[in-house]
Amino acid sequence: MSYEMNRKLAAKRAPLPTSANVDPVTAGIIRGAMETICFESCEYLARAASSAIINQSNERNASIVDAHGRLAACSIGTPHLTFVSQMPVRYGLEMYKEFEWGPGDVFVGNDPDHGGGHLPDYVVYGPVFDESGELIYISALQAHQGDTGGKDPGGFTLEATDIFTEGLAIPCLKLVHRGQKRMDSIRLLERNNRFPSFHGDLAAMIGGVQLAQRLMGDLLKKWGPDKVKAAINTNIDQTERLFRQEVSRWKDGSYEADVYIDHDTQGTKDILVHVTCTIKGDQLTVDLTGTDDRPELIGVWNTFGNTRSYIMTQVASSIDPVIDKNEGLFNAVEMIIPEGSIVQPPPNKPAALGSFHPACEVTEAVCVALSQVVPERSTFQGYKMGMPNAVIGFENGQMWMDQGVDVRVMDASAVQDIDGWGGMCAALGNLLLSQAEDAESRFPVINLQRQMVTDKGGAGQWRGMPGTLNVKKVLKPCTAMTWMVSREHPLTGLRGGEDACRYENRYLVGTEDEFEVERSALVQLPAGAVMAYQNGGGSGFGPATQRDPQAVREDVLDELVSIEAARDHYGVVFTGTVEDYDLAVDVAATEALRKDMARQLENA
Amino acid sequence: MSYRVGIDIGGTFTDFALLKNDEVILFKNLSTPQDRSIGVMNGLAKLAEMEGLSSGDFLARCEAIVHGTTVADNTLIEMNGAVTGLLTTEGFRDEIAIRRGFKESIWDVRTPPPPEITPRRRRLTVPERILFDGSIYQELDEEAVRAACHRFAKQGVESVAISLLFSFVNPAHEKRVAEIVAEELPGVEISMSHEVLPRAPEYDRTSTTVVNAYVAPRVFSYLEKLVERLKDGGYANSLMVMQASGGVMTKEYIENAPIRVLASGPAGGVIGSAHVGSAKGYPNLLCIDMGGTSYDISLVLDGVAPAESRWNLHHRYVVGIPMVKVETLGAGGGSICHVHNGMLQVGPSSAGSEPGPICYGRGGTKPTITDALVMLGILSADAEFAGGSFSLSSKGVPEAFKEIGDELGASPEEVAFDSWRVVNATMSQGVRRITAGKGVDPNELVMLAYGGNGPVFAAIQAEDLGIRRVLVPKASPTFSALGTLVANPTIEEERSYIVPVDQIDEDRLKTLWQALEERARDYFTRGNFPAAQVTAKYQVNIRYPGQNWPLTFEVNLVEGAFDTSFLDGSIRDKALELFNARHMHEYGHIREGEMPEMTGVRLVSYVETPSPMAGSGFTAARSKPEAASQRRANLGKGFQDVSIYRGADLTPGCEIAAPAIIEESFTTIVVYPGWKAVMDDAGDYELSPA
Repeated sequence: MSYEMNRKLAAKRAPLPTSANVDPVTAGIIRGAMETICFESCEYLARAASSAIINQSNERNASIVDAHGRLAACSIGTPHLTFVSQMPVRYGLEMYKEFEWGPGDVFVGNDPDHGGGHLPDYVVYGPVFDESGELIYISALQAHQGDTGGKDPGGFTLEATDIFTEGLAIPCLKLVHRGQKRMDSIRLLERNNRFPSFHGDLAAMIGGVQLAQRLMGDLLKKWGPDKVKAAINTNIDQTERLFRQEVSRWKDGSYEADVYIDHDTQGTKDILVHVTCTIKGDQLTVDLTGTDDRPELIGVWNTFGNTRSYIMTQVASSIDPVIDKNEGLFNAVEMIIPEGSIVQPPPNKPAALGSFHPACEVTEAVCVALSQVVPERSTFQGYKMGMPNAVIGFENGQMWMDQGVDVRVMDASAVQDIDGWGGMCAALGNLLLSQAEDAESRFPVINLQRQMVTDKGGAGQWRGMPGTLNVKKVLKPCTAMTWMVSREHPLTGLRGGEDACRYENRYLVGTEDEFEVERSALVQLPAGAVMAYQNGGGSGFGPATQRDPQAVREDVLDELVSIEAARDHYGVVFTGTVEDYDLAVDVAATEALRKDMARQLENA
Repeated sequence: MSYRVGIDIGGTFTDFALLKNDEVILFKNLSTPQDRSIGVMNGLAKLAEMEGLSSGDFLARCEAIVHGTTVADNTLIEMNGAVTGLLTTEGFRDEIAIRRGFKESIWDVRTPPPPEITPRRRRLTVPERILFDGSIYQELDEEAVRAACHRFAKQGVESVAISLLFSFVNPAHEKRVAEIVAEELPGVEISMSHEVLPRAPEYDRTSTTVVNAYVAPRVFSYLEKLVERLKDGGYANSLMVMQASGGVMTKEYIENAPIRVLASGPAGGVIGSAHVGSAKGYPNLLCIDMGGTSYDISLVLDGVAPAESRWNLHHRYVVGIPMVKVETLGAGGGSICHVHNGMLQVGPSSAGSEPGPICYGRGGTKPTITDALVMLGILSADAEFAGGSFSLSSKGVPEAFKEIGDELGASPEEVAFDSWRVVNATMSQGVRRITAGKGVDPNELVMLAYGGNGPVFAAIQAEDLGIRRVLVPKASPTFSALGTLVANPTIEEERSYIVPVDQIDEDRLKTLWQALEERARDYFTRGNFPAAQVTAKYQVNIRYPGQNWPLTFEVNLVEGAFDTSFLDGSIRDKALELFNARHMHEYGHIREGEMPEMTGVRLVSYVETPSPMAGSGFTAARSKPEAASQRRANLGKGFQDVSIYRGADLTPGCEIAAPAIIEESFTTIVVYPGWKAVMDDAGDYELSPA
């Protein structure tokens, strides 16, 4: 529980000891089998879990970590979870003897100071041994839990100044010993959780890991432990080699980016994430030196494990997608993460909110920096929303909570040649957002609106998708909670593309008491209160005045862009009307206006 | 003598299965892509000729013509459906574009968006709102509906999808919107979400309804034309159409929701497999169909091909109606072997059938899996291919593999062998993902292999998956047509009712089921199926609160009538008990102290119709036939002499020892080392470890 611990957990690890060799095709076949096992255990979890965030939103992931703590294979899920999964397992491995590891064991960890992401992200894992008793690899399953037993339901406490406020921190706890469930441990976890459904979720996670353990045992029998170890080594080496090959094609140099967060949860403004991405030959170094380290900041401390993971999420999106995702990526990227800064906080800092911001600004900064060398694969892989509007109430002594992970368009940005589309970035493409018909059947809320708003996307040669306005009415008195960011510093446009629009969140809409949430809110709402959250939309790529005027015409007909914005941002002038569908580009006027805009830009 | 005819139209061939008494006759002729009904009529004329009848006499004696069509699939492949408009609740214009945030690839930022059926200008909203309990929160603004219709008219909209929130609980607004659309836009097709997919959540329902609206006019005009030709030809009964759920139903019923025919072709194949498997005493099957471009995987459990109504993604759209689950991998004979980033890869790009693999000699230059099979000696340039329609040639094949080999530092033979291994592994892992989703262990299954390439890989994959028996039926090239004959007329529908199980109102349950019975009875009667022949399965959907997918199970089965008299006050206890058992079976636990909730009721009703008998048994005396020739081939253990047999020479009782290759007219069966093949009394092959 120290920087030293972080260094130890992050240190590069040796290949598994084996004298066996496998050819790349066999290694690929064994990798495929491991990925399928991950898929199967995730599938089990999704089918058996009860909390919406796991089975509705798919916030879950499976990976296989080798005996040295290296990421050997991963499955569906989100990259943000995948790339942190090996860290809590490494802490468990540190305590191998003390915690009496053995066949049939299953552990859980969630402690940010012991490799974890943030408290809600439980990592449940179980080792697999060969017949001689040698540990070969470990199945790890991650899922976001709806509660962590801290001060506030859900585990997010806006004013928390230490981790203990946020809930139960678990460095490593054994849940199953030699195949027998330890009910003392399980009851302890259940007791420290507000949700009755946690019982089923935990059982589902344990079941998912046990399934993977059985299948991983079968895989060892089929190929023999030496072949499996050699395959893991080969695959990791291959990923590193291919990754370095890509980097060697990038232009050498240092590329910097600054990204600001509006404020922390208590109002301290303009929090900086600074990155320098340096490319030298086949070596990529991501250096966060210069990032904010003011000790008085509240709520914006990202855990070390998550900083590594969020850097890697963006980097991995910038390379050929067929390269396998495993420890080879970490072997190929040097990360410099300053101790004591908001991207590697001192021990016992709260961690829940930091996993949103600055975590996502780390991703954004890496994206902006790398867009200078790999523009065709640069688009932001995160979310600029602070916190959705969570509403919490009590009925018959039971708590209910609509976490507000609703269908929305947020930050769906352009990439070179492709306009922003869908609801979110590719990396979050597995998260299925909650639907009105499910939420309203369970919670006393009505979703009044969640459609895109004209002009709420960043303009560009390729444009961002406009953000949605999500309007929700509560039917019973309840507590509403949120944290606003990106209201002053929206998502950055790339290569001359315009920034996304700003997030805006209003409470008690349509009443005399209507107000805009500027920073954060934890308020009691009366029955009938309305909240309206304007999401930021995606950012643009490339100068808007270079967009094909016919594409702008299509956007105007689709009411994604207004006639006024077409003129002001894109320099496109039309004849006809949207209503009559006879809109046509006035070519001469457009050329003249674009020339004029270029002149003005030059003068400025 | 009366006849039943099953017809399945594929891209190249139209397949026919003719049932007379217990005998089944299979026949193929070329499809006619311009107007596929011509190919159907040509084939029927051929069947009439074979029976020594005039076309008119033959068609007049047809008791049933059952048809599987790919017209909906083709519409989505070619994206040439109707100009479609979507009307939704105000504030929910973009659900179809947001897709709940889903993207197909989390790693590839260059994935393009799906092609839009309803661009935003044709997604319009109307003020109205119904709540989860069916109460009206905001009245429908009828003027806004008319205004939207005017906007649609200006854009030439031909088909309108209507999807309003909670319409599956209270359809009043959707119905009224449909009335106004019909008034304002006479002649346009209308699809209402509460009819197409009456359940939550809104994205799934909207997407399904939009696809329905998009394909509807083409499906209708195709079926109309076919019905007309059949009627003119002398056919007097209803045309029966295959549905993706695995049942068939009258054209009149299909017209409620033409999306039901999407993906019905492969479903027919699975139904055909289930029938053959059951007859041979193998009710649990892993069906694999490997052709030129894809590898289709499906399961048959307890003799039934289960239909699922979850997130079936077709052509990047969610289709939530029940479908026999057929998973498709991009691994076929045409899959291209290539080097990417220093690694050997097979697919996903395919040489298709034109130009096809190099060995087809039609100008293909990229090495494919079929070419690898030629390199390995598994396929031969000497043998007839695809029913004798052409021969293979090895010209240019070794050179193409050498090019790859030079890049990888391997010999051409090694590259071909590695390609064979890669495609094998891809397929095995695909199978595992599907069996895992069902909680099934593959080694409890019998593999049934078909398609031109299925039996080439079957036994080696079976070995990989721990499967100890492989069936290769002779009739497999026309399985989909056979499937349409086997499938029963079936209506499978559901209604939403969300309530904790301990608060189920039996009267409401009865009302819902009786409404479903009424619909089913009506359509069966109109199709000349008497209600006394109906078997009715009363099913419920139940889940724990918050679970995404309910478990579906039967609470009662009635033969020969619709009858809800089993609702005698005990349904709550019965449903809870059955749910607990199912949840325990599926997931290994139940949640003490949590009350599950019902999300809907279902009625599956069907009428059993005559099916062809499938043969089985091993009574024929065993014999060990002489091989027709020998050839060098690599069957996974290096090149060796392999015996080659001609399928036409073999008779029931023939036993073939490994290593061997059996060349059938439409497929090639490889007897890998460690296996043997025996022909059963019906002339089908069964492979098992020697």
